[in-house]
Amino acid sequence: MRNLGTVIGFTLRTKMMTKAFIVTTIILALIMTIGVNVPYLISLFSKDEPMKIGLLQGNYPVIEQSLEKSMAEQKNKDLMLLSYPNTTEDQLKKDIEAGKIDGYLKLEKQVEGTTEQFPKVIYTGTDSLGMSKENVLTSTLTLLKTKWVAKGALSEEQFRQLNEPISFESVKLQANGESKDPEKEDANKGISMMVVMVLIVLFFMTNQMTGNMIASEVTQEKSSRIMEILITSVSPLAQMFGKIIGMFLLGLIQIVVFLVVVLANLMLPHNIEPLKEMNFDISMIDPAVIGLGLLLYVLGYFLYATLYAAVGSIVSRTEDLGQAIMPIALLSMVAFYIPIFSISAPNTMLVKVASYIPFFTPTTMLLRIGVGDYAWWELVVSIALLLVSVLLFGYLSAKIYRTGVLMYGKRPSWKEIRKAMKAYKI
Amino acid sequence: MKTLELDQVVKQYGDKTAVNGVSFDVEEGEIYGLLGANGAGKTTTMRMVLSLIYPDGGSIKYNGKPYYKGLEKIFGYLPEERGLYPKVKVSEQLLYLAQLRGMARKDADKSLKYWLERFNVPENYNKKIEELSKGNQQKIGFIASILHNPKIVIMDEAFSGLDPVNVELMKETVKELRDNGTSILFSTHRMEHVEELCRNISILQKGNAVIQGNLRELKSKYPREKVVLRTVGAVEGLEQIAGVSEATRTEEGYFIRITDESAGQHILQAAMSQTEVKHFEIKEPTLNEIFIKVVGGESNA
Repeated sequence: MRNLGTVIGFTLRTKMMTKAFIVTTIILALIMTIGVNVPYLISLFSKDEPMKIGLLQGNYPVIEQSLEKSMAEQKNKDLMLLSYPNTTEDQLKKDIEAGKIDGYLKLEKQVEGTTEQFPKVIYTGTDSLGMSKENVLTSTLTLLKTKWVAKGALSEEQFRQLNEPISFESVKLQANGESKDPEKEDANKGISMMVVMVLIVLFFMTNQMTGNMIASEVTQEKSSRIMEILITSVSPLAQMFGKIIGMFLLGLIQIVVFLVVVLANLMLPHNIEPLKEMNFDISMIDPAVIGLGLLLYVLGYFLYATLYAAVGSIVSRTEDLGQAIMPIALLSMVAFYIPIFSISAPNTMLVKVASYIPFFTPTTMLLRIGVGDYAWWELVVSIALLLVSVLLFGYLSAKIYRTGVLMYGKRPSWKEIRKAMKAYKI
Repeated sequence: MKTLELDQVVKQYGDKTAVNGVSFDVEEGEIYGLLGANGAGKTTTMRMVLSLIYPDGGSIKYNGKPYYKGLEKIFGYLPEERGLYPKVKVSEQLLYLAQLRGMARKDADKSLKYWLERFNVPENYNKKIEELSKGNQQKIGFIASILHNPKIVIMDEAFSGLDPVNVELMKETVKELRDNGTSILFSTHRMEHVEELCRNISILQKGNAVIQGNLRELKSKYPREKVVLRTVGAVEGLEQIAGVSEATRTEEGYFIRITDESAGQHILQAAMSQTEVKHFEIKEPTLNEIFIKVVGGESNA
């Protein structure tokens, strides 16, 4: 146990002081700082003033007046309609050039056969209106068209009913008959989905990074023969887990640094406003998702890290390492992509099955906890399976580690490894 | 009590026998020399002593007991390929290794400073291994193996890559360790070091101990075959003496090969009868010669 502490301390000290670690931490922290400030930066560049659009009047006074009236009632922040009575198109064009307005609308007569149609609306401007503004105008105009076509056949009350949007509500059937506020639940789901995504990406990235570091570290120790000294002074189990825990703490330190950077940036006064607008509130994060997510994260980390250490110990040269860790890298990629592609359909059979496979449990079970459905026994079973395989693979890896570190030259065959593993105590 | 006892130790790699029934004892305060050509099984034997690999047959006992927990604290090991972290500071890794062997960090630091001073490299304390010359790396590796005051030290090719001054320095240190009761198992290709340091030796060839025992006794067992003669004037008719196979004239006298030790007396008589003899010696075989004779042309060392 004392040796375990010594190994952890040494791993932490030597890794933390390397230039590579310090530089990557600083660079990533800078990127995160920029990322957090992006909404504010965007708001700096976007104008607050609404787009001013002129309305050429004269062709259809009734429609034009109603359009003006309903636009004024809507009080749209992005769009402002200015009326230009008794002016020519040339005057409006001049105003565009002078920058008084961004463009103008003109109603043009449209005849099909002998019947007069609702006028065609033409927008002239320096730029196109853009989807959202066009939508605002067309929906307003559609209403006016209905009124125009009905021509007094409908009463005011009927007309009002026509205008009512259809109310659509989706209610989720709860197993325990408990009813939840669907809107609030939706917002929470969105936050949970975000948290799940962040945790999965974090798991994948740190897993790959530390995994590679552990494997190459072990291979280096082996090829520089320091392993021979280490094995004669400390048990392989303490050595391997000391390294894995040391790396874990190192990653943790890095994550804490990032969290502090992100939170400090979020607390800046100019960032509080945009966040409120985005409807984000820390209290909306489900603590169960975070808590269980971290548990899965830690277990998953140990499962993969022991495998990386075992592979690192089999290889004699760093050049061969890339090829040897391929299978594990693939496993972790599968564990990454299953939940990422299933994030909008978290209750498929694929996700359910994957959540019982220990290598995929950390990410897929997290997805189910965050956005899908799960029964408590499913959670218990999958975590139990994960825990058992962490212990099993930890033991096996330590065996391989003890055996592999003394096998030089060609890659040993499975038979040799099995034979040697039987012999060595760990 | 014997610190280290090897009894009929066997190690096989596949169908190749790396060590075939080797036995020897090392006593407290003894330097035991393990000699042999490359690939003779020296390193394998040492690894078995360290319990890095397990023998397929025979037994190894430490202080009369089989391998027991706690031995790692009294082991010191200097592998042939130095075995240090290239990118880690000298102080950092040596203190780490000493701590793993059960020494307190503070004591290890004191001890490290003493040894660096003693080897005239105190400036290396804060340097990385990769910044050091090969000889200095060697010194650090040596310090790493003895920093924690081990009782059993195993040194594979301890003095390779060092200049004569530093070899002397290390020999002094090894002798000092021996006098303090440390048992040292020592392998080298430099026979003069063995002659100076070791009491008992084993010469391994293809996993077998072909010659074993006390160095003095071994040497006396081998016939003396060389005569060095220095005279004032010339000596005639040396080749005609019975038992002389070859006589060559050197700068100051003669170098004579004999097949029979008794021929020496005849040579001396012949020389004295002709001129004044300044020096006469029937030379003992050197370990180097014994080694070459035993291992023969099969060695490429």
